[in-house]
Amino acid sequence: MTGRTGKGSAAVEDYTKADDADLLMASGQRQQAAFAELVNRYHRPVYRLVWRMTGGHADSEDIAQEAFLKLWRDPSQVREAKALKGWLMRVASNAVIDRSRKPAHADIDAAVEVSDPAARTDHPLDRAEATALVDRGIAALPDRQRLALSLVYFEGLSNIEAAEAMEVSVEAVESLLARAKRGLKQALADRWRDLLDGLA
Amino acid sequence: MTTGSGEESELRRILALATAAEPPAGAADRLMARLAAVETTAQVVPFRPRATRRKSWFAYAAAVPLAASLALGIYLGAMGKLDTLLPAAITGDLAMSFDADADLTGVGEAEAYAEEHT
Repeated sequence: MTGRTGKGSAAVEDYTKADDADLLMASGQRQQAAFAELVNRYHRPVYRLVWRMTGGHADSEDIAQEAFLKLWRDPSQVREAKALKGWLMRVASNAVIDRSRKPAHADIDAAVEVSDPAARTDHPLDRAEATALVDRGIAALPDRQRLALSLVYFEGLSNIEAAEAMEVSVEAVESLLARAKRGLKQALADRWRDLLDGLA
Repeated sequence: MTTGSGEESELRRILALATAAEPPAGAADRLMARLAAVETTAQVVPFRPRATRRKSWFAYAAAVPLAASLALGIYLGAMGKLDTLLPAAITGDLAMSFDADADLTGVGEAEAYAEEHT
């Protein structure tokens, strides 16, 4: 762990200004307030990733929680505090991939009540239809491609950070992204222009 | 034909249409509550060795006659007081006439033997 030591108790109480290294160290000392600040910082992106990876499955919250619980059990697993976000993303995405081998994702189809918008090319798309269409296209990508796409385009990680999170080379991430883009474009080929030209 | 950056721009516009998922209300609170549950369930049970009864000193009393018996045997053997009871192979004339200077290997006789047969 790369945290600093020797802070007074008054400084430790104000965790909102502490950096990740200090928060990890305090979490290792079972300071729930410090861990709450980590949750405050990273729960949302982790949940978003899980949601994207599961296609909006109802278990998204549980899976995101598992990643944080794993961190809480042993914060020293994160060797470099600056890699914390990537570590959480990796743990969460591994959990998703493990679970995806069991049940099929179905919630995304039920989340938005539209009849298959890709099949109806004769009318302009409204926002809900466009969203459902794009969500479906992303959900149809293979796990690794969807993960790379989510990390880089939705969570704003650089290719290098995504490679670290996925434990692959940067070239592998670039390859996954290229295939993901190609796959998404093929999946949305019929409505690609409509999606770009604007919504009804 | 679109350029690479044009394709990139198109992709970003398409992805901007995707659902921006947000954690359900209270998700962080539920996580923190689960944290507390983990804390209470993950208690380590300390190892305590099983209590054993201390041995009575009577257990050591049996060693006393054994030690006395051994000491008496050594004394009697050294003084030769029990030789009459031992086998002749140990106490007989052959055993008693042992000469430490005698050459039991036969090497010393090799020279005489060689002279006789040359």
